[in-house]
Amino acid sequence: MSNHSEPLLCVSDLVVEFDTPAGPARAVDGMALTVHPHELLCIVGESGSGKSVTMLATMGLLPATARITAGQIRYKNRELSSLPAGEMRRLRGRELAMIFQDPMTSLNPTIRIGKQVGEIITLHEPKASKADVKRRVIDLLSQVNIPRPEYRYSAFPHQFSGGMRQRAMIAMAMAHAPALLIADEPTTALDVTIQAQILEVLRQMRERTGSAMVLITHDLGVVAETADRVVVMYSGRAMETGTVQEIFHDPQHPYTIGLLAGLLDMSGTGKTAYTIPGQPPALTRRPSGCPFHPRCALHQGRDICRTTTPVLADSPSGRAACHFANETAAWAAEKFPHIRRGPSGRASQ
Amino acid sequence: MNVLVTRTERKLAQWRSAGSAPPGAARPRRSRLRPATSVAIVLLFLVAVLVIVVPFLPSYNPYAINLSVALEPPFRSTAHLLGTDELGRDLLSRVSLATRISLLIVTFALMLNVLIGVSVGLTAGYYRGKADTVIMGSADLVLSFPILILLVTIVAVLGPSAQTIAVVLGCVFWVSYARVSRATALSLRSREYVISAVTQGASGWWVIRKHLLPQVVPQIAIMTSFDLGVLITVEASLSYLGLGIQPPTPSLGGMISDGQNYLQTSPWLCVLPSLVLLLLIGGVQFMSQRFTSEGQQSRGMTAT
Repeated sequence: MSNHSEPLLCVSDLVVEFDTPAGPARAVDGMALTVHPHELLCIVGESGSGKSVTMLATMGLLPATARITAGQIRYKNRELSSLPAGEMRRLRGRELAMIFQDPMTSLNPTIRIGKQVGEIITLHEPKASKADVKRRVIDLLSQVNIPRPEYRYSAFPHQFSGGMRQRAMIAMAMAHAPALLIADEPTTALDVTIQAQILEVLRQMRERTGSAMVLITHDLGVVAETADRVVVMYSGRAMETGTVQEIFHDPQHPYTIGLLAGLLDMSGTGKTAYTIPGQPPALTRRPSGCPFHPRCALHQGRDICRTTTPVLADSPSGRAACHFANETAAWAAEKFPHIRRGPSGRASQ
Repeated sequence: MNVLVTRTERKLAQWRSAGSAPPGAARPRRSRLRPATSVAIVLLFLVAVLVIVVPFLPSYNPYAINLSVALEPPFRSTAHLLGTDELGRDLLSRVSLATRISLLIVTFALMLNVLIGVSVGLTAGYYRGKADTVIMGSADLVLSFPILILLVTIVAVLGPSAQTIAVVLGCVFWVSYARVSRATALSLRSREYVISAVTQGASGWWVIRKHLLPQVVPQIAIMTSFDLGVLITVEASLSYLGLGIQPPTPSLGGMISDGQNYLQTSPWLCVLPSLVLLLLIGGVQFMSQRFTSEGQQSRGMTAT
């Protein structure tokens, strides 16, 4: 979107380590990303690539066994990683909000929906009057398209469907119109028709509040339809970043191309979907140099892949962390001619 | 639509004529009380009469000494319905006052225990870390002492009085509450709705108050009903040993202890307070049994 505006969130060289019996495991290893106001950034990558940990680190919600060992997380020119706990707490919910994957367990089963949403309002505005809070809760519930909000106000979570619970979670997250909303796979636990509705509700809410959003997802179809910009993560690093058109029309990293090639080709050629050979590396035993080189078709035994870790800025376009980003286009065109059809080519399903 | 209505009405008419309720109209209710519960109700009713009604009787005076009627047996006169002690004081009045004081002390002590136990347990369980180690370590320390000996020692040092036992009893029985609260906090702290609340800016105190505390209440309520009987016994034991309430204020334990001297000539001095103690503890215990089994039945309903 607009690269001219001051970035809202800027993560650079972030390293997060978990203490494990086998030694420190680097879940995030030199991650960098930028979120501009009002934009929707998608983070895609395999399970364990550090997507969620990066965002948890941003929220200051890393588990006790994890530490930020290097890097910066700057939010509106404030360094979040060194912010005192109390200030971070005031920021959470009001400026930074987060939605989780499983709406079934994210609501307290013993508290009525209206009260739970209302408590999030009073959490940051303790002086708000009861009537005012109730009015705002009902307003929020109707904004997230929960039918008959006055009636649902006094319902318990078990009386809600999965989609409605996720809507209630969105209502809670958007209660204070946060500047940045982080959604960690918000539709994974829901069935496909509901997914589209939830994404639509998120879009509407963001339109009202002007919030920027980081959407963590596995679903490239969702990325193609919703994202402004995309970051592709692998093994705790950003492999490629760019606008959604750039990523889908002109992918420059072999890993991104592998992911796109893994999508089902619906043109009826009958070919099985491509899978990237091998497995992501264990966090305690990362390969030297480029973390992707053992699985990379472009590596071809070249030494620089093993010795030097590529950074985004080094590639000709500044978008892909690959030593041979200039070769990927030719390789992809030869091997996967169909992926150049772009985001509107029904890439999802 | 019409067809449906008439069909339903016809069905209803059938049921009505058959003299039975339509299915689902009246759920089978557990109507009969279990014997233990009925016993508990009777016992506690007697205690309630003793504590609430007796002070309004014209003969009520637990302190008036009248040596001319000393050691009068029960049911001889309306002035002293249950007889008198060695100083001619009305036993009914004294037993009533003793029960009131005992209940007061025990209730205060129980509330103190719950307050300490629950706050300490939830804090330890939610925050974990060093606080947890220190708190649960000290809980184990308290638990490792034989409680009566611990109490006797503390009371001996502080000097016996009603306030002292109330506070001392209030500080030694909190361990079980702390353990239960901690276990609940441990199991709930990693629930997604707790994490979600933290994500939205909730502090530890907020999470404990809004999400953890309401969920320990049922278990704590059951435990207090059980501990009530235990505390009454311990309070009576302390008074019996002369470490509790000091004369001339009556106490059940103290009255039993004094009455021992007249066991052969005037056994009612001993029997009467013992009987009241029995009513009280029996009633509370039977009632707590009821609560416990009720709690077990509804455990599936409490949120996990």
